[in-house]
Amino acid sequence: MVTASLASAAMLRHRITILALILAFLGVALAPLAAAQDDEEVVVRVGLHAAEKNLNPFIVPQALPLTHDFTMLVYDTLFWSQSRLDPEPWLATGAEPSEDFRTWTVTVREDVRWHDGTPFTAADVAFTFEYFAADGGPGRYGHHVYDHPVFESASVIDDATVQLTFQDPVTTFKLLPGGDIPILPKHVWEGVTDPRADATSLPVGTGPYMMVDYDPGVSYRLEANPDYFLGPPLVDRLIMPVVRDAQAAFAGLQTGELDFVTRNLPAPLVPRVQENEELSVITGSRMQSLYLMFNTRKPILRDPAVRKAMSMALDVQAIVDIVEGGLGRPGNDTWTHPDSPWAHPVGGHQFDAGAAGAMLDEAGYPLGDGGVRRSADGAPLAFTLLVNAAAPPQIRSGELVAEQLSAIGVDITVEPLDAPAITAARRPGPDGPPTVEMFIAVFESHAHADPDHLFFFFHSPGRGVGGIFSGYANPDFDAVLEDALDAPIDEKLTLIGQAQEIFAAEAPAVVLYYPDGRWGYRPGVYDGWISDPGHGVFTKRSFLAPYAAGSAVAEESAEEPVASEPESGEDSEAADSEPAPEEAVTEDSAPEGADASSTDAGDADAPSTASTDGGTASDDAGTAAPAPEEAAEVDGDADADDGGSGGAVTFVVVLVIVAAAVAAFVVVRRRGREGTVED
Amino acid sequence: MTGSFRGRLADRTSSRWVRLASQYAAVILAALVVNFALPRLAPGDPVDYLVPPEAGTIEESARESMLERFDLDGSGWQQFTSYLANVAQGDLGISVRDGRPVSEVVAERLWWSLLLVGTAVAVSTILGVALGFAAGWRRGSRRDVSLLAGVLAVDALPAFFVGLMLLLVFSVQLEWLPVYGAVSPEALTGWAWIADAGKRLVMPAVTLTFVGLGSVFVVARSAMVSELGEDYVFMARAKGLADRGVRRHAARNAMVPVSTVALLGFSTLVGAATVVESVFSYPGLGSLAFSAVRARDYPVLQAVFLLLSLIAIGANLLADLLYPLLDPRVRRAGSR
Repeated sequence: MVTASLASAAMLRHRITILALILAFLGVALAPLAAAQDDEEVVVRVGLHAAEKNLNPFIVPQALPLTHDFTMLVYDTLFWSQSRLDPEPWLATGAEPSEDFRTWTVTVREDVRWHDGTPFTAADVAFTFEYFAADGGPGRYGHHVYDHPVFESASVIDDATVQLTFQDPVTTFKLLPGGDIPILPKHVWEGVTDPRADATSLPVGTGPYMMVDYDPGVSYRLEANPDYFLGPPLVDRLIMPVVRDAQAAFAGLQTGELDFVTRNLPAPLVPRVQENEELSVITGSRMQSLYLMFNTRKPILRDPAVRKAMSMALDVQAIVDIVEGGLGRPGNDTWTHPDSPWAHPVGGHQFDAGAAGAMLDEAGYPLGDGGVRRSADGAPLAFTLLVNAAAPPQIRSGELVAEQLSAIGVDITVEPLDAPAITAARRPGPDGPPTVEMFIAVFESHAHADPDHLFFFFHSPGRGVGGIFSGYANPDFDAVLEDALDAPIDEKLTLIGQAQEIFAAEAPAVVLYYPDGRWGYRPGVYDGWISDPGHGVFTKRSFLAPYAAGSAVAEESAEEPVASEPESGEDSEAADSEPAPEEAVTEDSAPEGADASSTDAGDADAPSTASTDGGTASDDAGTAAPAPEEAAEVDGDADADDGGSGGAVTFVVVLVIVAAAVAAFVVVRRRGREGTVED
Repeated sequence: MTGSFRGRLADRTSSRWVRLASQYAAVILAALVVNFALPRLAPGDPVDYLVPPEAGTIEESARESMLERFDLDGSGWQQFTSYLANVAQGDLGISVRDGRPVSEVVAERLWWSLLLVGTAVAVSTILGVALGFAAGWRRGSRRDVSLLAGVLAVDALPAFFVGLMLLLVFSVQLEWLPVYGAVSPEALTGWAWIADAGKRLVMPAVTLTFVGLGSVFVVARSAMVSELGEDYVFMARAKGLADRGVRRHAARNAMVPVSTVALLGFSTLVGAATVVESVFSYPGLGSLAFSAVRARDYPVLQAVFLLLSLIAIGANLLADLLYPLLDPRVRRAGSR
């Protein structure tokens, strides 16, 4: 018996050797195949830090930093962008209001086709507004046609003209909804009764990119729309894997697997990226804010004096310096992002801890035992502050808030939770207000670009989302904002400024800082990135010749000051764990977005309507950019991969051998055992 | 004689089967209950994902109809009974995140998980057994001590750390291996696809192998040590059997406990894979569960947990069934 199994073992060894030889041979033969693709075209690999679904605008994850700009690679809006008072006509060629601002006559381009070849007409615009309004459900886009302004009807005058009528006067139509709502193809959506049902089929838009592949939760592939009305995009293909892990994403950027990472580049990595000659850094404004919200329905927090005192005790400059290493601007008491056209002209933050303490004394909250203030009926000024456990900047900000407020006798307990748990605490129960006392969250640019953002978020419960957002209620504030809703733009600016002053005085929320953003990229692969204010860098203008070419040069010079920023130990720690895998919910979003306001202003003005019409004429410099040397670099990378793939094949071979050995082992044992039984 | 032996064996086997089946049914039912309850115990619900507070208020009726689509309306008991009924029919529900059938969502990820975990189990078992036997052969020798210290040190490293280190060395420094995903997003085909998938499997599988190595090693080593203390080894040595022969006999007997550990390791590694999958963006069940938790996607969570439970239970069952095959004593006890 012993001899028998020895013999079979010998045989087995034989077989394994043969198998190994065969596989090794295959491996050698295959290695070159693995990296055998290399074209002339410009292919940019973008590491998305989060993305879900197929850009169906009815179910795009809310407030995800990427959502809008990613969506707008495939779709177009009538105007671009909502972050400016006077957006540039995009799918539209113009829009004229009626005298009462309730009806807008929109003329649209006639040289546009949907990705499937069907011509785009005014009927698609009419359909889009009707369809969003009919859906009526909650969502990122729809609420601009049923919350405010409430859409009434559309009538198509001819293929290039449509009249959109609203129930209320809409003075800012070009920004919102004109600069926001993706125009949908009527012929695709017409028969769809439940727009929320489909999260996987490939979208059909008019945008610069066509989505050709979507692997749910894993990756997207986009291809340039060669017939785009502003000329073919400069990047032929966008390959976009979702790489949620920050370390993996930046490793990918360093190895050349990724050419751009949508995640904010952490401060400690900046020197490494700069040392690497193949990488560059670009800054851009995303108009984000990281804010501290009070639940003003809670007994003590209802008192504006308490909130204002807390606001005054916060050294927001210190917070942004410590948490973001200075990569950001301190918060303004007037809430709105300074880059937004709706920002208060002065803004600023009132920081005076001494005065804050005196204010609390006066308001009837004397210092009690243990250095904690108490109200007249003995309740301590002690609150729980919820922060997103997956967003280190929020946790650090929360800790600093707690530290700074303890100086005036307010006791804060920072509680990191996962995003859905915070959302649940913010949601009013069936019979009562939300349980949350204070929380920290991040807002994206849309929340600052929307002319009615203060109305939506801070109007008394009952209108907008104020009811679930802060519960803040002040009739004067409400009245000003209601007037502002329908006011012509000039007047609206004044009224919103008034509302912001009330806001600053009563502090229903405090912006701790406006995070700045910077991104790492491979200029050798694509160098056209520009910052579009409120959109950052990963946005459609970065890919379009009329915008990308010249601005790239301007941005290059802007990157120096950021790069040479001093870094304290705290910074590195701060940005180190930027990771915060982002999804769906706002609290989740790790701050990004930056200011490059001076350069932004420059490039925003450059492309006028006229020049966009003749877009193809001005794109020569842009298209010429990705030239031979880059191609060579791509080659180099491919070669490096090549070597690796040989190694990998070897590994696969080893794995197969291992598996075969296991199987053989089992067989031999069994056979041996059978022998024993028979014995 | 053979006939009656076989007959008695059949009797025993059938009653053993009944017992085994009822035990496993009970475990599966318990798993179903826990899998149903666990996601719901966390604060928040799918509506918070679908409509976060920033997006506007929702009426209670809208809320209900939203949940109805996913069969998540009604009381907990109603949901549970309809869940059981659906699972019995093989219907795992609809994913809250992307509205697709859960079975489809899970199927996409399952194969990657099996590939990753299967590879890690195979490698860690073989490596663990080889090293364990080598270490146990001469207990207390320098080789034993250094292997023990080395393997335990590796075992103590957290998976995410190992993953990051591998990433730094093999991707960033050496540029041998890709950093993310299971396959390139660039639509490779044929052999290129397989080579690419193999390449991307290396680091996650190695990381996971490190997680599983320690337990196999320790068990293999101590099994070897205790076998070497047995009388039959003493006898064999007395007869003058060479080391090689002694090792063969001892190793065969030592395989019994090792096989159990290796199979149970499968269920442990499926869990540990969550971390590894997040580090390497590997599209397995672990990363699916991770995203599902954040969206409170109950149907997907239920399905993933159910699947993981079934894998663990299956591994257990396999160990139960393999035991008599590996150990003649168990076999004889069963047939006596």
